[in-house]
Amino acid sequence: MIRVENLNVTFGDGENSVQAVRNASFTVAEGESFGLVGESGSGKSTVLKAIAGLHSHWTGSIEVDGMALKQKRPRAFRKLLQMVFQDPFGSLHPRHTVDATLKEPLAIHRFDNPEQRILKALDDVGLGPEFRFRYPHQLSGGQRQRLAIARALILEPRVVLLDEPTSALDVSVQAEILNLLVRLRKEQGLTYVMVSHNLAVVAHLCERIAVMNRGVFIEEMTDEQLRSSTPSHGYTRQLLVASKGYDRKAIDRFVEFT
Amino acid sequence: MSNLLDVENLRVKFPTRSGVFEAVRGISFSLNQERLGIVGESGSGKTLTGRAILRLIKRPGVVEADRIDLDGKDILRIPEEEMQAVRGKRISMIMQDPQYSLNPVMTVGSQIAEAYRVHSKASKPEARDRTLDMLETVRIREPEKVYHLYPHEVSGGMGQRIMIAMMLIPEPDLLIADEPTSALDVTVQLQVLALIDDMVRERGMGLILISHDLNLVASFCDRVLVMYGGRIMETLDAKDLHNAQHPYTRGLLDCLPRLDGSHGELQVLKRDPAWLEA
Repeated sequence: MIRVENLNVTFGDGENSVQAVRNASFTVAEGESFGLVGESGSGKSTVLKAIAGLHSHWTGSIEVDGMALKQKRPRAFRKLLQMVFQDPFGSLHPRHTVDATLKEPLAIHRFDNPEQRILKALDDVGLGPEFRFRYPHQLSGGQRQRLAIARALILEPRVVLLDEPTSALDVSVQAEILNLLVRLRKEQGLTYVMVSHNLAVVAHLCERIAVMNRGVFIEEMTDEQLRSSTPSHGYTRQLLVASKGYDRKAIDRFVEFT
Repeated sequence: MSNLLDVENLRVKFPTRSGVFEAVRGISFSLNQERLGIVGESGSGKTLTGRAILRLIKRPGVVEADRIDLDGKDILRIPEEEMQAVRGKRISMIMQDPQYSLNPVMTVGSQIAEAYRVHSKASKPEARDRTLDMLETVRIREPEKVYHLYPHEVSGGMGQRIMIAMMLIPEPDLLIADEPTSALDVTVQLQVLALIDDMVRERGMGLILISHDLNLVASFCDRVLVMYGGRIMETLDAKDLHNAQHPYTRGLLDCLPRLDGSHGELQVLKRDPAWLEA
């Protein structure tokens, strides 16, 4: 479904340029859920944004559903692939109601029956029809993230990119959103690419996981390998130790990977 | 012998158009030279509890308590000028986001030195030397160079270390850390906590760690208060957290995805309105 080869993303030019992603290559099969983990600055979100077409200064090749992508994306691509962002407070227009937020993508892509589609989208993400004419500030963080997911899914995409979809939420709400994402994938046969710094969240949602550090893919493994704590790279092992909680002795052994 | 900190029946109220909203609803706890964790979700009142102890709740918010005693001395009803001497010198607080808590137009070195000079009669060169020592203590490489940087020129992890240096330089007896590491990467997060841990041990400070991360608190603190809806649901030894009995604590633990878990459905927290009563 997705094939990325030799992806390089560079910001700035000359002396101040930063290479955020170096020679990244991976594929994601249809219906698969692929996770990207790494710390801040590892380039994981940049990879997602390059696929989504939010960064234009990349080189290499990106193919989605057999379509080789250029910097400019056709409208059909937007319908094929949608994205959910980290911050449900920043990614919704504060002066658009739920109804307006969901109606706009439908109008752009000239869908029929907006009425029914909006009600179905709300129902799919577990928001009742009573939410339809509310503004984002009248919703909780979890409800906003449900709305962001509804907005992405209302176009019936086949690929959804998830950029830290639960990291701004309380753990109890995180569980609800993760359950929702698992259910929607099952029902609609979606392909996910999820970025997160939380290993447990990625291991829960994804079957295959790639670890990034400083713009480089350092290893790829299955969720089973991550679970059984047998990653081969030292960086991944350190991340695993760190995500298990405070352990004074282990912390003194932390090293910086470059 | 009195405790380092005694809080009894603390309430924080905010008047709203539809009546008074009570964000913290009558909580009591005490603290000695130990690491106490306060965990809860957003809106549980954990941050307000920390701020109320320092009397940092702005009007129209109101703080009420039967008593807030520091070393047996009341700090709730003393005049504001005396409270100024308590803040920083006796109790200091590390805020969540260094980028917002540091002064953007002062170099980090001069901010830390200022924190020191406010509470001691040190001269400028003395304060400067102390600051450089302190930067080294919080494991900043090249303190001389960092001294002259502005907050926007340092990374999140370094900014948080600078905050810690600033809060520890007056050598407080009690440190309140409000989500000191939640904006940081996991490995950096643990390194910063290790630093706080060393300070607490070496200087015999009391620590209140406010966090939403149960696992982190369980592995780091000695004792944990679990808050929900402005109340304390239960207090337990950190090592017993995973055997917690209260349904709220259990619910929070069960809804976490686990590395050794399966892809199955996560449990969802069911809230019981009775938790807000009692």
